[in-house]
Amino acid sequence: MILEPIVPTVLAVRRLPAASPALLAAYGADPARHVSLGLVTCDQDDATYVALDEATKHAPVDVVFARSFYAGAAHASGRLSGEILGVLAAAEPQAIEDGLEALLRCLAHDACFYDADGKRGVTVFPHVIGSLGHYLAAEAGLAVGEPMAYLVAPPLEATIGLDAALKAAAVRAVRIVAPPTETNFACAWLTGEAPGDLAACEAAAEAYAAAVVEVAGGGAGAGGR
Amino acid sequence: MSRTRALMTALRARLGAAEPLAPPPPLPRVEAPPARVYTPRREASRFAAEAARHTTALVGIGHVGTRYATDVVLQFQAELAVAHAAVAAELPDDWAEAQGMVPVRSRVADHREFLLRPDLGRRLDDASLARLRQRAPRGADVQIIVADGLSAVACQGAGKALAEALRAACQARGLTVGALVGAKFARVWLEDEIGQELDARVAAILLGERPGLGTGDGLSAYLVYAPRIGKTDGDRNMMSNIHARGTPPAQAAARLAALAQAMIAQGTSGVTLDLAQVDGGAELGVGYRAPQVRQRLVEHGGGGGAGGAGGAGGGGRRR
Repeated sequence: MILEPIVPTVLAVRRLPAASPALLAAYGADPARHVSLGLVTCDQDDATYVALDEATKHAPVDVVFARSFYAGAAHASGRLSGEILGVLAAAEPQAIEDGLEALLRCLAHDACFYDADGKRGVTVFPHVIGSLGHYLAAEAGLAVGEPMAYLVAPPLEATIGLDAALKAAAVRAVRIVAPPTETNFACAWLTGEAPGDLAACEAAAEAYAAAVVEVAGGGAGAGGR
Repeated sequence: MSRTRALMTALRARLGAAEPLAPPPPLPRVEAPPARVYTPRREASRFAAEAARHTTALVGIGHVGTRYATDVVLQFQAELAVAHAAVAAELPDDWAEAQGMVPVRSRVADHREFLLRPDLGRRLDDASLARLRQRAPRGADVQIIVADGLSAVACQGAGKALAEALRAACQARGLTVGALVGAKFARVWLEDEIGQELDARVAAILLGERPGLGTGDGLSAYLVYAPRIGKTDGDRNMMSNIHARGTPPAQAAARLAALAQAMIAQGTSGVTLDLAQVDGGAELGVGYRAPQVRQRLVEHGGGGGAGGAGGAGGGGRRR
């Protein structure tokens, strides 16, 4: 069904209460500050990036590692691989627990891809983050607490969608990742021209989703061209 | 519902898609991490268990896995907190005056400087020196000084009582005792300057000792013969752990008076004092003493929480 949420499947949740310092260093953590790790794999990478950021808003955790896997979840290297491994690091195991709880809640109820053509042949991720946590804020070069539209779609759809989004509202592109990415999607991060303009981000995301649905030919009344 | 989902639902309606969506899934349950449960082990050594009955030191406390039992840790933390609080406490400025003592203070300006500069805590400030010359009689056999030292809590607790008991014990032995002096921000060596100024034969400073675990109320006494600035620790005799669970103040006063008398008789103190000649007696309390029991500051429920690492402590500590 058009714009039906495709809820991500969390494939594995594991903890390392006291990880080896060598491992911590190799995965980007700081052995002086970090002791415990929380690991998550999921079949939707972009939803997981958003959920990892959500975790940093709820617990004293850092996202030390988050990488998408090549060719996406449909071509995963194993049953538990999916298309992303995200790693939270904290000074103690309870912070990891709190962070994981927020992360899983976000994956179940907030961040997800949507069906763009009614057959799940094309999917779109038109996500609006009301308030950035310190992980994505640092990645985007924005202040913590700023709103951001996190927009992902397949290459052609993403290109037309991004053009529509940028014209639909007073937004500016923070980052544009042209295809191909590891998962062969294309991605853009937008924020309001005026700081804190959440409505502009929402309008941009809506225009992006509408454009992707239109291109995918799934929208009511929208024919393929 | 999430912001983005609401947005997409509205867009969906605008695009004319009417089929109802499935309801959102229930909130996920985070599986609890696997818990490894260790049972508390009592102290296996009968020697250690027996020794534990005779000391308040941390011996024979058993273990849980490779760690201490929870109640041992809680007790340790509580005792450490008592010690921290005692070091942080400050003697009120008017305390000595209110106790009827001659108030003096060292050259230290504030509590932090007192902790950081022992040298300044060993000398009187000018106002105190003038007050001492004006108000305290000179030439006593024993000059008693009550001071805060590293535990104002102990000084305010048993300081006055110990001083009074020591004065009475000295007078019972025919020694003259000077006016009680109450010193703030004082280190042990402050007794040298006070004793020198008052021309005392023996100076005795009773001060709060550096707190140990759970003993924020301990007093120490340092005695020196012929006090002069420049005397060293080798010239002093001392008694520590003067508190209810160590040497009780009444008993300590009797022993200190005997020590002071021996100093005057032998004309020396410190390493050259012959302790074998100190006049001992039944009242000095050097015989058998019943085992001391550790004071419980916290009670651990031991109901066995999720971690299962709780439970009663080992080694028969809980009584």
